[in-house]
Amino acid sequence: MTDLKYAFWPGCVSKGAAPELYVSTKRVAGMLGIELVELDQAACTGAGVIQEQNPELADALNARTFAMAQQLGLPLMNICSTCQGIESMVQDKLAKKPAYLEKINAILADEGLHYTPGLAIKNFLWILVEDFGLDRLRSMVKRPLAGMRIGPFYGCYILRPSEILGKDEHPDRDKYLEMVIDAVGATPVEYSGAKKCCGFPLLTINRENSLKQAGNHIHEAQDLGADALVSPCPLCHLNLDAQQPAAKAVTHYDIDLPIIHLPQMIGLALGVEPKELRLDRHVVSTKKLLAKLPAPAAVAVG
Amino acid sequence: MKVKLKVRRSDPEKAAVGYSQYTIDAPEHTTLLDALIQVREYEDGTLALRCSCRSAICGSCSMRVDGRARLACRAKIIALTRGDEEHEVTVEPMGNMPVIKDLVVDMESFWSKIRQVDPYLQPEGPEPEGEYRVPNESMIDLTHTMNCIMCGACVSDCTVLEVDKNFIAPAALAKAYRFAADPRDGHSHERLEKLSEYSGIWDCTRCNMCVEVCPKGVAPMDRILQLREMAIEEKISGNSGVRHTNIFTKSITDGGRLNEVWMVPGSVGIFNIPRMMKEIPGALRMLRVGKLPVGQAIPPGAPGSHKMKGMDRVRNLVRKAATLKPSKPKVKSDD
Amino acid sequence: MAVYEHDVLVIGAGLAGMRAALAAQHLGADVAMVSKVHPVRSHSNAAQGGVNGPGIGEDGGPWEEHAYETTKASDYLGDQDAIEILAQEGGREVLQMEHWGVVFSRKADGTLATRRFGGMGKARTFFVGAITGQAMLHVLYEQLMRPSVYQAMRSYDEWFVTSLIMDGQQCRGCVAMNIRTGELHAVTAKATIIATGGLGRMYEPSTNALICTGDGIAMAYRAGAPIMDMEMVQIHPTTLKGSGVLITEGARGEGGYLLNKDGDRFMEKYAPNLMELASRDVVSRAEQTEIDEGRGVDGSVFLDMRHLGEQVIKEKLEEIYEIARDLVNVDITKELLPIRPGIHYAMGGIKTDSNGATVLPGLYSAGEAACVSVHGANRVGANSLLDTIVFGRRAAEHAVSWIKGQQFRPVPESVVDRDRKMICDILERPMNGDRVAKIRLDMGMTMNENVGIWRTPDKLEQQMSLLTQLRARYAKAGVEDKGKVFNTDLLFHIELGFMFDCAEMTVTSAIERKESRGAHTRLDFPNRDDENWLKHIMLTRQPDGSEKMSYLPVTITQWQPQERKY
Repeated sequence: MTDLKYAFWPGCVSKGAAPELYVSTKRVAGMLGIELVELDQAACTGAGVIQEQNPELADALNARTFAMAQQLGLPLMNICSTCQGIESMVQDKLAKKPAYLEKINAILADEGLHYTPGLAIKNFLWILVEDFGLDRLRSMVKRPLAGMRIGPFYGCYILRPSEILGKDEHPDRDKYLEMVIDAVGATPVEYSGAKKCCGFPLLTINRENSLKQAGNHIHEAQDLGADALVSPCPLCHLNLDAQQPAAKAVTHYDIDLPIIHLPQMIGLALGVEPKELRLDRHVVSTKKLLAKLPAPAAVAVG
Repeated sequence: MKVKLKVRRSDPEKAAVGYSQYTIDAPEHTTLLDALIQVREYEDGTLALRCSCRSAICGSCSMRVDGRARLACRAKIIALTRGDEEHEVTVEPMGNMPVIKDLVVDMESFWSKIRQVDPYLQPEGPEPEGEYRVPNESMIDLTHTMNCIMCGACVSDCTVLEVDKNFIAPAALAKAYRFAADPRDGHSHERLEKLSEYSGIWDCTRCNMCVEVCPKGVAPMDRILQLREMAIEEKISGNSGVRHTNIFTKSITDGGRLNEVWMVPGSVGIFNIPRMMKEIPGALRMLRVGKLPVGQAIPPGAPGSHKMKGMDRVRNLVRKAATLKPSKPKVKSDD
Repeated sequence: MAVYEHDVLVIGAGLAGMRAALAAQHLGADVAMVSKVHPVRSHSNAAQGGVNGPGIGEDGGPWEEHAYETTKASDYLGDQDAIEILAQEGGREVLQMEHWGVVFSRKADGTLATRRFGGMGKARTFFVGAITGQAMLHVLYEQLMRPSVYQAMRSYDEWFVTSLIMDGQQCRGCVAMNIRTGELHAVTAKATIIATGGLGRMYEPSTNALICTGDGIAMAYRAGAPIMDMEMVQIHPTTLKGSGVLITEGARGEGGYLLNKDGDRFMEKYAPNLMELASRDVVSRAEQTEIDEGRGVDGSVFLDMRHLGEQVIKEKLEEIYEIARDLVNVDITKELLPIRPGIHYAMGGIKTDSNGATVLPGLYSAGEAACVSVHGANRVGANSLLDTIVFGRRAAEHAVSWIKGQQFRPVPESVVDRDRKMICDILERPMNGDRVAKIRLDMGMTMNENVGIWRTPDKLEQQMSLLTQLRARYAKAGVEDKGKVFNTDLLFHIELGFMFDCAEMTVTSAIERKESRGAHTRLDFPNRDDENWLKHIMLTRQPDGSEKMSYLPVTITQWQPQERKY
């Protein structure tokens, strides 16, 4: 099997408020044989916020990151739905505006960098399904998460606008989380909030609306029997996990639902100890969820 | 081609609400609207839906199709089912608006929000003898927004409206952009001030849902972001939205990556004591599990604040990116 | 039921209706507007290519040029006094729309850009991409949302008008059903303006929306107003093969070619000067000839826009690009678009004078429902929008001044009884296996077959007897939905009744006109016959239910009939 190797953009949050995502990503990638070359000097994508006042700066920052990956001759991997969406949007814009890109490249030349449209940019979720393969993942599962009911939570920017997120080439990208949940032996929970907004971008602007969004989705999934939600987006994680007690207070729903990162879920299935995946570093306790965890099988078949 | 439909039914004159299932035979390239009309005309005359032009200009036939708002006349059955004749297409009325009957919703709340944004041109001064002289680029830009047929799809699926019925919502905000950005309008600043108030442009959560469901490429959220950019340019501040984007940008231009610790105080205003108090329990919980990166405790821009490796190069880029800003076209005519 | 009272009642809320309502409101009248759909759903949306702007700058050209071209295109059946008004006032009216906010395309210097349209000697058509009608309709609705207008004016949205209230010869408003409740009400007014648009749905297929069922024309006819030029139904040269959706003339205005199956630009044979931009009747006949003589493919010819380039297509014909992509899976930047002639527009309608007034006191009409007549036997592209805003405003202005001497005459609640009984009859009728939709389809298909481009006495007579048979079926057909709320089943039933009246008038007039003129081509009388037929045909329903046919001479001011060459 071919080796998988990516330029790795960890994003701001995995290096800040969600360190468990960074740790579990590195751990799981290592186990899967996915080699990551971290871009430790790449800057924030702008998350759509810088874009509000300075779209040109945001474009330049992202082009710089793309160019760094191209300098390594590697496709780019991110571990954040927001990063994925922003990067895809910028990529689309730059491909359509060659003259504008030329101006950006003139600036990047200061650092000896150059971006040529056509870089593959993929979230870890897409890589799992499209590059790594779910059959291969299945074969490596040491501890099927049987008995766990897990709700997918995608994060807006990995889904929309689908036109620039590879809908034509990969029409099932809006089903990948369910497919991965299934591949690790858990049962995906179907609920209407899976593809909606977690509310994070509004947290500091309209706290109540933001927390209602988070609270509603958690409540709905919990009501339908979910033991946890899994997300490829650390920003969603922040609002659904760290803000869950606040969401509970605002919505008055009796909610208590662990929110786990995608690599954490994979890690559990691969037999990694929860502590190594930092599942103890969440605001909402994962204890109840982990109580459902079977012991790892002695030998993996396949 | 066999077409299977599952249609949400409700009738105020009857208590029952549920789904009706229909299987019809239709031509290969049939749209969902063709199929529904066929049902209504030959299978079940009691089915209520709005439709008129059949070519996506009247905006009557928006409904939820397999969970997503769209125009029935633009939804090809074969695309919905991916050619699987056993796939049952689920058809429901739009969301975020009360249902009158079956697929017909009451759009009064939609229109009242449109009216809220003063949706008519307000030129300054007397009308010119001939036409207003304005750049074609701005007219083409506005034409994209005028493409809006007020079908309600974006409002149906707006995720903020779900939790806050006062949110002005995408359609009206896109309409507002159409006037705020019209060089003939004389009240752009006042419009932006009003739109910056609560329930306005800063309350959009940027989820891209409206962009995704809009059948006319209006991309309402992009228009909202343009309004934000215009509001910032007009120096309309004093709301958390502007502070949020300012502190965020400062965090990146200073440290290369996001400084989460300062996002909340930076956005709500550190002297907003009651609001800050609300954040304390959450902050303590995060601190307890190691989710508050204490390395970021120094505010962006202050000496010793958190910085990424190679920051001097990022700063160079920030400085030079300022030259990328397009110069604004001349917007006012002399007549 | 309730009785509502207003000064001016406008039935229909498309461009003509809204322009009339706005004008009447500006003049201080208490205005009501009734429409079976929300105003922005109206079919004015569908006018894609543009609006002529005679007199606007150099491009608009002198008004006389436009008036002449309109007259010539009408095959001299248009009344020239009315055409002169259209041309003289049109430019000002278009500029008014611009001042209200229509985002007309501009030239580099910021002035209004134009494109060429069929039958016009030069580019004098102003446009907003391929959404001109939509842009104008929405801007008029914006004006109605101004608080000063919105609060003062009553808009009965989704109210379905079933009949006019007549007091002898005088019109006193209408009976209408609130679709949401199913209740009938009397909406009374000193003056009533019918602006209900066209009747295309009596043909199948047609470019018209499902709502274009000739309601207003039939209602006015039933009330005793003369209906004129009903044989003149425009067949548009470019409608999508299959669904019949309109492809704007702007596609040819921007330089699109028409090709037959051999790839020839066949218009060279039929209109060597204006080619694809000859008058619509000429181009449609040419296409049909190509198809009939075996040079089409599967009943269609082709519109070729490939050479226009992606940028022009995306900027100026985006709507067409999308329609082709979504409905027939054709990329017009790379592929040929199969098209064919299709039923499009009614030149005829409720006979009015140039103030929109009918012969019945208190009854006015404007827009496609009306026949002023500015379009005569064939309407020029981009004149339909112009017609709506010029004569919509004029009808309102005249109505507002006329009502000054009028008193309210209360109407008894019993005015709704007849319609209530009609509705009860339909609802109580058992389903007999026949369906309203099937009857309409049979009507539409046969109308296309027998009263389309080529007309013969045999086919016309055959259609008349078919209509009689269909009417008998219609009288026995029931509806499935017996409810009150949003009973569209019932509405279609009533609409079909309106369509029967219109279809019969069209066939009657077509049988009568023994010549070929404009859209009316009689194979047994292939030439225009000015000696006998330079006149309008009018049909008037008599109080006893019989129909009277009469003729009205065409008004000629400056332009004597000549042979038409393009």
